[in-house]
Amino acid sequence: MKKTVAYTVLIFIISLQLYNSFAVQRFPKPEFESGYIQPPTSTPDPRSEAFAILDVVVLIATLSVVTWMVLKKRNRNGVFWISIFSIAYFGFFCEGCICAVGSVQNVTYALFNPVYSIPITVIAFFAIPIIFTVFFGRTFCAGVCPLGAIQDIFVLRPVTLKSWLLKVLGLIPFIYLGLSILYAATSTDFIICRYDPFVGFFRLNASFTMFMLGGIFLLLGVFIARPYCRFLCPYGVILNLVSRVSKKHLTITPAKCIQCKLCENSCPFGAIDKPVQVKEKEESHKAVRRIMLLTIIIPLLVLIGGYVGSRFHENLARVNHNVQLAQILLNPNNTQPDSFEVTAFKSSGKSTEEFFKETALIVNKFYIGGWILGGFLGLVFGLTLTSLSIFKYQEDYTPNKGTCLSCARCIDFCPVKEDER
Amino acid sequence: MSKLKKVIENVRLWKGVAIVAGVYSFIFCVLIIANFTQINRVDPVNTKVLNTLVERLKENPNDNQLREEIRELDLLARKAYFTNQWQIKNGGYMLMIGVLVLIIALQFIRLATKGLPVVDNENDDKLLYTQNKARKWISIGGATLVVVALVFAFLTQNQLKSTFINAAQASNNEEKSQVSNSPVVQETTQAKVVETPKNVTAEVTDANKEKKLEVTTSKEEKKEQVQQPQVSNQVVTAANYPSDNELKNNFPNFRGFGGNAIAYQKNIPVSWDGSSGQNVLWKVAIPLPGYNSPVIWGDKIFVAGANASKREVYCFERNSGKLLWIANADNIQGSPLKAPDVQGDTGQSAPTISTDGKRVYVIFANGDIMAVDMNGTRVWAKNLGVPQNHYGHSSSLIAYKNLVIVQYDQRTNPRVLALSSATGDEVWSTPRKVKISWSSPIIVNTGIRAELMLVAEPSVSSYDPTTGKQLWSIDCISGEVGPSLAYADGVVFALNEYASLTAIKVGNTPQKLWESSDYLSDVPSPVATDKYLFVVTSYGTVVCYDAKTGTSYWTKEFENGFYSSPVIAEDKVYLMDKQGTMHIFKADKVYASLGEPKLGEKTVTTPAFANGRIYIRGDKNLYCIGK
Repeated sequence: MKKTVAYTVLIFIISLQLYNSFAVQRFPKPEFESGYIQPPTSTPDPRSEAFAILDVVVLIATLSVVTWMVLKKRNRNGVFWISIFSIAYFGFFCEGCICAVGSVQNVTYALFNPVYSIPITVIAFFAIPIIFTVFFGRTFCAGVCPLGAIQDIFVLRPVTLKSWLLKVLGLIPFIYLGLSILYAATSTDFIICRYDPFVGFFRLNASFTMFMLGGIFLLLGVFIARPYCRFLCPYGVILNLVSRVSKKHLTITPAKCIQCKLCENSCPFGAIDKPVQVKEKEESHKAVRRIMLLTIIIPLLVLIGGYVGSRFHENLARVNHNVQLAQILLNPNNTQPDSFEVTAFKSSGKSTEEFFKETALIVNKFYIGGWILGGFLGLVFGLTLTSLSIFKYQEDYTPNKGTCLSCARCIDFCPVKEDER
Repeated sequence: MSKLKKVIENVRLWKGVAIVAGVYSFIFCVLIIANFTQINRVDPVNTKVLNTLVERLKENPNDNQLREEIRELDLLARKAYFTNQWQIKNGGYMLMIGVLVLIIALQFIRLATKGLPVVDNENDDKLLYTQNKARKWISIGGATLVVVALVFAFLTQNQLKSTFINAAQASNNEEKSQVSNSPVVQETTQAKVVETPKNVTAEVTDANKEKKLEVTTSKEEKKEQVQQPQVSNQVVTAANYPSDNELKNNFPNFRGFGGNAIAYQKNIPVSWDGSSGQNVLWKVAIPLPGYNSPVIWGDKIFVAGANASKREVYCFERNSGKLLWIANADNIQGSPLKAPDVQGDTGQSAPTISTDGKRVYVIFANGDIMAVDMNGTRVWAKNLGVPQNHYGHSSSLIAYKNLVIVQYDQRTNPRVLALSSATGDEVWSTPRKVKISWSSPIIVNTGIRAELMLVAEPSVSSYDPTTGKQLWSIDCISGEVGPSLAYADGVVFALNEYASLTAIKVGNTPQKLWESSDYLSDVPSPVATDKYLFVVTSYGTVVCYDAKTGTSYWTKEFENGFYSSPVIAEDKVYLMDKQGTMHIFKADKVYASLGEPKLGEKTVTTPAFANGRIYIRGDKNLYCIGK
């Protein structure tokens, strides 16, 4: 039986390779008589249609299996091995692209640029994990996302961070999400992909800086579990919000919690909500007054955020290549020889009038974007502060549906068996 | 199985492996960092030693030994640089292997030493404490963010938007002042007359012409005052244009009447020899280069030429080859200061001129479009915006009734537009959902109506040439489309390299008749009769198909490739190869050569035909062939 499985896997991998070898480029690269060999490109070639479909099929299959492992089999080892598969397939085989994390930008770009025709595969990679999360929690993060999976195997000596610190650091992904949407919407850059710390490993072509960044994240991950997922991942923000309404979320215990506390420190991500006694409750008039105050303050925070964002828009706009080029062209003190960008612009024949007008429009987009981004962050800060004033009575140890990555580690620590229901 | 379990649970073993892998990884990590630091510090082509030696060589340029020494040193420095790069790359892989082994070992150690979790009753964070502290730090964090952002914003603020708007305004003023300061602006047309060669001055400098020039100038001034003159309806309705018969009797645009590569002229010669001068009636040099083809109206023949700084239209006397006039396309409002960067084999003047017998219309790679009358006097000129086209704009113009139609398939805002032939004002413009193309429009009468047909990825589309309304479209093509369409008997043929050849039965619901992908073209256009389709490839193969079924009748390989498009005249296909040999063969299902006369000059353009004459633009010269 095992042999059959091994042979099937082997044949599958060989057939994939064979398919690749038969793939013909639509516009073949020129051949040089001098024997010059063209260097490989730093980004992977576009996937053939068949492979794009296969990627979606594998995504759905992996998500289904990992969800089944977490919710039905309650098996941490299974989740671990699926993580290894995901690193191999979505990481090394797909070279880290397409990934659900980066797809946020494609979706934004498509919404703001009607000319851009977003591939169905990208929509699938964006939507399918969200759909699974709506029903089953963040099983995508558990073992399907290659960025999460590669960090997960480095979780060796996790330290427990203070709960309040987790709340504070948990706001960073909102900022990153806002910035990545702003830059995608203004056709500036896909910053999630540009600063993806692990994609260089998957493509085996990491630049030194990328290599160092990825290395630091992985080393940090030995002690602070999955730092990128928890304190940066913009897609995680969406999954966090969606997961809160999931009906069939992972539970620590399959039956009634016996308050043994064994699971209390089992979660390296600090995603277990502990029981809260009624005696811990704040005097109600104090809490009510604070909540009312914060509710009034939220619109003010949105306005302040918007104002600050709009004031900061020029700094945000300077990331845009056209803005950078326009500044170079306008710099009277620039005595340097023309850069490639300046040479390219000059040889394009485009009039400077037209170019400066376009650039002014880009800056204006950033002004509007700055208002929206700042307002959004003000809202996030306001709502977080309000939520931190709400007392929620809780009897048992339960996973926090928003921050729990459904990795199933806590399950191993629970002494209650399913048949004890 | 139990053996394997024992190995996995052997903590001592895994600790040893972890230590070795850890030390190994650490060493590699240090080496990579050191290597990177070194590689970043060194510029292999700019070392102190090398520079000193180069300086010494400059003082003593005949010192060959020193030259060799520099070469060796240079090679050594480059080798060292690339070796360092190789070391970093491969070192990275080695490090990855080391880290992988380390992680596996550590995971096994963790598994083997896994005990019961510690239950800590004292260290619990209370909810209120957590909430208070989180609120406090979130507030501090938020406030810090606000302060830092505001400080940054105020320190670095320099009104980018208004700066750019002012810069745009300044650029505009600069361009305008360049135009207005030019003495040519008010006397553009006079300047053209001055530039006209002496031998034709008698024709163009008489008093009547002077009057006409004044009228034209005043018209231009009026046009500047009123930006949008409402002339479009008058233009379309007034029947002030040549009939189809007149157009057929001339050769008014690229590939003749309707752009469909059928010549209606008679007694076309089939033999000549450029080197001996046999049947070459005249040959004149064309001042500026261009890949556009000649067009003919009456006794005049027109070509255009351009380089990065100059754009011109030339008119020659058809019988003598005498240069009658040159019209400069200069001082055109909105024209970019610098010519666009185009590919050498497209050039600044690839689109062919079009004429309706009243005016001559020309477009260049920088988007300048101009109309001059038959005496070279400018009637109007404007810039359509530099075409965003990485090889250079090459789609030819086509005049239709009182319109000049421009296929402007560029990167952003691809469109087809019609300008009033009298004023240059836009009469209609239809956006197109296509990629950049290099093909030219054709206008054919399908028996029901006149249709303007265009091809570009992804479709062949038909438009009403009077209104610009799209009549039908069919997806059938991809890639960088260069060849134009061919039409005959209700069927239009489209093809492109790396795509396919498709025959489409035209109509409101067009249908694909047949497809083939054996022989495709990236430059030359096909030509069709009711029965046959002739496909020409740039690598030298010519194929004859049954136009209705796609059955291949014959395939012929020629030694030289083709950029020129074939034209059918008197049931003969005239096809010029890149080396200047005209292949003349019967437009029939059996290949029968009728002659292979040589011009003696390379050519990539398509010839123009007149009764008893054939006009060919070579690399540098314009030829008239006839008896």
